[in-house]
Amino acid sequence: MSDATLTEPGTDPEFIDETAIVESTVGTAYDGTDEEVVDHLGHAHHTSTGLSNTKLAMWLFLGSECLLFGGLIATYMLYRNRQGDAIGPDQLWDIPFTSASSFCLLMSSLTMVLAVSAAKRNDERNTRLWLIATASLGGLFVAGQVYEFTTFYREGLGYTTSLFSSSFYTLTGFHGVHVSVGIVMLMALMFMLLRRRVTGDKAETVEMIGLYWHFVDIVWIIIFTLVYLIPA
Amino acid sequence: MIRGGGVAAAVLLSLAVAGCAKDAPQDTFQPAGPNAQKIQNLQVPVFAIAGVVGLIVFAAVGFIVWRFRDRGQAIPEQTHGKPALEIGLTILPALILIGVAIPTVSTVMALNKTSDTECIINVTGQQWWWEVDYPVQEGCGGISDVIVTSGQMVIPVDTPVLVRGTSRDVIHSWWIPKLNGKRDMVPGRVQTNRIQADEPGIYAGQCTEFCGLSHANMRMEVIAMTPEDFEAWKANQLEAYVAPEDGTVAAAGQAEFISQCSRCHQVDGLEDADGEPIVSRPDVYIYSGAAPNLTNLMTRNTFAGATFDLLLPECRSEVWNAPPDEVGPAYLEGVTPECLNSVDLRDWLRNAPAMKPMYADPEKLEDTDGMYRGMPYLALSEDQIDLLVAYLLERK
Amino acid sequence: MAIIERPVDTPALAPEGGPSVVATPSTSFGYFRRPVETTGWRAWAFTVDHKKIGIMYGVVAMAFFVVGGLEAGLIRAQLAQADGTILSADKYNQMFTMHATTMVFLFVMPMAAAFANYMIPLQIGARDVAFPRLNALSLWTFVCGGIFINTSWFLGGGADGGWFMYAPNSDTPFSPSDGVNFWTLGLLITGVASLVGAVNLIVTVINMRAPGMSLMRMPIFTWMALVTQFLLLFAMPVITVALFLLLFQRNYGATFFSVADGADPLLWQHLFWIFGHPEVYIIVLPAFGIVSEVLPVFSRKPLFGYPFVVFSGAAIGFVGWGVWAHHMFASGLGPISVSVFAVATMAIAIPTGVKIVNWTLTMWGGKLKFTTAMLFAIGLIIEFTIGGLSGVTHSVAPSDTQQTDTYYIVAHFHYVIFGGGVLGLFAGLYYWWPKVFGKMLSEKIGKANFWFMIIGMNMTFGPMHILGLQGQPRRMYRWTDARAGEGFFNLGFWNLVSSIGTLVLMFGVLLFFVNVWVTRKAPPAPVDPWDARSLEWITTSPPKAHNFDRTPTVHALDEFFHRKYEDVGTGDHHEYKQVMTGEEVVNEEIAHADAHIHLPSPSYWPLILALSMPIMAYGVIYHTLLIVVGGAMAVGSMFGWALEPSTAPDSDFDPPADGTPSKEVALHV
Repeated sequence: MSDATLTEPGTDPEFIDETAIVESTVGTAYDGTDEEVVDHLGHAHHTSTGLSNTKLAMWLFLGSECLLFGGLIATYMLYRNRQGDAIGPDQLWDIPFTSASSFCLLMSSLTMVLAVSAAKRNDERNTRLWLIATASLGGLFVAGQVYEFTTFYREGLGYTTSLFSSSFYTLTGFHGVHVSVGIVMLMALMFMLLRRRVTGDKAETVEMIGLYWHFVDIVWIIIFTLVYLIPA
Repeated sequence: MIRGGGVAAAVLLSLAVAGCAKDAPQDTFQPAGPNAQKIQNLQVPVFAIAGVVGLIVFAAVGFIVWRFRDRGQAIPEQTHGKPALEIGLTILPALILIGVAIPTVSTVMALNKTSDTECIINVTGQQWWWEVDYPVQEGCGGISDVIVTSGQMVIPVDTPVLVRGTSRDVIHSWWIPKLNGKRDMVPGRVQTNRIQADEPGIYAGQCTEFCGLSHANMRMEVIAMTPEDFEAWKANQLEAYVAPEDGTVAAAGQAEFISQCSRCHQVDGLEDADGEPIVSRPDVYIYSGAAPNLTNLMTRNTFAGATFDLLLPECRSEVWNAPPDEVGPAYLEGVTPECLNSVDLRDWLRNAPAMKPMYADPEKLEDTDGMYRGMPYLALSEDQIDLLVAYLLERK
Repeated sequence: MAIIERPVDTPALAPEGGPSVVATPSTSFGYFRRPVETTGWRAWAFTVDHKKIGIMYGVVAMAFFVVGGLEAGLIRAQLAQADGTILSADKYNQMFTMHATTMVFLFVMPMAAAFANYMIPLQIGARDVAFPRLNALSLWTFVCGGIFINTSWFLGGGADGGWFMYAPNSDTPFSPSDGVNFWTLGLLITGVASLVGAVNLIVTVINMRAPGMSLMRMPIFTWMALVTQFLLLFAMPVITVALFLLLFQRNYGATFFSVADGADPLLWQHLFWIFGHPEVYIIVLPAFGIVSEVLPVFSRKPLFGYPFVVFSGAAIGFVGWGVWAHHMFASGLGPISVSVFAVATMAIAIPTGVKIVNWTLTMWGGKLKFTTAMLFAIGLIIEFTIGGLSGVTHSVAPSDTQQTDTYYIVAHFHYVIFGGGVLGLFAGLYYWWPKVFGKMLSEKIGKANFWFMIIGMNMTFGPMHILGLQGQPRRMYRWTDARAGEGFFNLGFWNLVSSIGTLVLMFGVLLFFVNVWVTRKAPPAPVDPWDARSLEWITTSPPKAHNFDRTPTVHALDEFFHRKYEDVGTGDHHEYKQVMTGEEVVNEEIAHADAHIHLPSPSYWPLILALSMPIMAYGVIYHTLLIVVGGAMAVGSMFGWALEPSTAPDSDFDPPADGTPSKEVALHV
């Protein structure tokens, strides 16, 4: 795989382009001239559509995730009444408790918004602060879920107890794993910001993780409504 | 040039549509009853349309390939398309398909009707055989007590029969091509399939949903006979059990059967020494929870999932190839000692898993809680087999 | 985190004109120094170059094609005669399951991914895909998943439930070996590859087009690949759910498909086919894209009705989601559902027919040159038409209940997948071979390759129509003379023909490998061997690491053609005159090379992250400890990944000053 002849030297030592991230490989939006459009680190938004690659990728990924949760929710809805003689949702749900933990998760969306907005203002201190707040609220939610699962287990709802229990734990478990992954990402981002190790556009990275976080939140609203609030 | 293979395939396809093979027992283009006929009325024109469309495409491509080959002509005009032509060629197939869709939907509806049938027969699939039972009903000319058989279903001709089916383990599919399309038999669900035969005859079928190791060995037959013959068959099935005369080989065979076989295989009317009825418990030993009922084994002419013949080839031919008006009587004769295919039956008793792959290794039954799937190797001696064959021969 | 910091000492500037300059980045952003090799196996293992990744996709896919083909050979050997004894029932069931799995997931899909990876950036005028490291991750994940599934052969036997693995037959009591676990986990792993690849390629197409490359100027292959990626994006999560349910059922005691616990086994079928039907289009649309490139080039005409082909592709993509239950006409869905899905299935025949019409009309009035690629493309039109029409007969639900699960449907989907998919992929191989490898395949061997394959496939799959209509069910390890019938349509004769056809087909495929071997030292191919039309040809063959010396500016659909030819006609009269040769067009681009080009840098992390997945999967089957090890590897590599910039800041890639053929990695300090 060798290159054929190249005729133009074109090496200009003065011209050091700092472009570091993938956008540098992009063909730029056509502006009607043949002038070279130079990308610079930090505002590399010259894509065909003007949308950033990472954000677009995250949107696509979340679109795919919709189908994942769609499948899991469909499975749960099919099996929600099939607990046989085993313990069922009516004996288990503690709506006030779950509402409280859901509230934590909803509030974390708010703090996430504040983190993104701080990041856009380039206010690193507040960005980190709100990221920690978001992660903590998410942590509260996960802790609540762990507590809830343990309670259910003690009341006799094991993973294999019934179709209802398997599909319930699978659905909420998948969601819990998503929240946990989100928390890890938030904390990692926080430390990376602290140590100045974020490799791309900082505000955009925060925003991207924010997108994921909001998605996980919205999914929980749907799950909470379908699983807990609407009687089987 | 290229169209050669395609045309050949299309010609073969249309020949196949004509469906004129002799004695292909599962030919899908030889309906023998009104349900299959409805499908036939639909599929023949559809196959024909498909064939014609195919030939048009092949001809067009062939013509273009010949006509527009590179003969040094100038660079052709760079046409990017003709929307009117495009739209026209989109609408045309749409119209054809509407023409196909309407009869399709009406046939679907007709074939799913269950209210107008006159006889109900249940089938239950399990690895790898079908159980057939006739519930007590006024239909089928009146059935006073449940008849349980396996592998072969006997029906009266010209009677719309509703087959209700389910499964005891995995999904199986009930399919008698000459009588109707297939219907999956799903555990936990009861599904239906209408069948009706115009003429007496033996109609072969096969399980068509992959159901594990011996899927290839799960067959079934429907035997259609005149209502009179069917009455005779029912009466025979419901006859009380006649124990072999004391001192005969068959009587020794009965004892052998009780000790070796009756754990799983039910023979209605069989009693133990105390005069208590012997009830088999396949649910304890077999994973699917069932084993074929052998009360009237020798009234059927196949065994082990209709995989093996109980009749010797020439006897089988006499029944299977009998003219329509003789099928019933020939079938009702059952298996006579002269006609018994004792080789296969004895092989089966000697080592069933060697003849038909089944999960029957006692060492490897962890996942099924020690239960067998299919008939295990029983380590019977030749003497025991003699006795059992003698006993089984009287089961008719 | 133990990040090993390297001292910020400054390496010397690379010596100029060296044959192969290895640069050492001055800073490390991960646990290790990042790889810099430009030659040897490391240059491949850690590459993020979409072209190298595309080639590796292709090579691995071809290897699996051979594996799947040998499995098919054993199947046909077993069925050549009544009561075949070559394979046991158990082995046979594994064989057809693994044959389908291998061909669908490990050959056709990755082969299409190979073309998409290689060609999309070139066709849209980009230097690479949007996320080069994710691209490498897709490749290695696929490789790991594919090898993982196939290791089941040596660890107790492959999966044996048929490729759609219907529940409850896939549950442990009915399939006690680990085969189904391998299958489930392996498909989860390759699913990651598909999903990541889909996101990556969609972003690439949407965001990284060259100036002037509007959506309706995109080469048609890119369009079809784009639709395919959207299908993958939404289909993969559905099968993922199904696979997880099966995994939890088999390994952790859940009862999603256990009827005894009240489950509905049809849940699996719905989940599987909601994925499985779009999967059919995932398989054929890239091949449709390829022939839509090949036919215009060798007809010397633009694709007839380009917008219709684009929109029919998109329409297939949409309607493809509403027809899944036509795989379940015999399942007992109820007459209303069956009718709805039957009509929807007929509807999808319309956009499919549009494609065939457009291909035919592309050739109409053209100047047809029958190269091997063109032969494969025409072969696709014919063979796919057969598959499409037998598909229409299947859409007629009552008739489908006669033909489904018989050899007729085996014939149908082989005409679709082999006729509509594989032939297209081979057209692509012959068409783009000079682009990718800079040398031509032999046309002589190529034509023999084509004819043996086309005759072989019709001999193999054609008789299966007859077998099916004669009532031979699929997935039977043996068929019996008792049900074979007599006369012209007897099963014995046609089974034998089909088995012999397999040998012919195998010989045809072998000729391809012979061709590759024979031409391995062929002289360099011309820059524009086919008088091609699209953007990927406006660069050298093989393209340089940075694809285009100057990012091309696009003015029209078929940009390359319009640079070579001008319309000298007047008014309605068009007449095209060559104004430049392809070589001149390319040289002009080279003459105006961009000064600075930044390429993404190689990375270890994609490979390490991919390797962690089969380790975790073995852990699920054998020992939890392995899950922990794999998990640690995965988390570690993700952190390494996040901390490593995509392009090392000190590794700008500049064209060599003196025109040496080697790549030069200049170091700016």
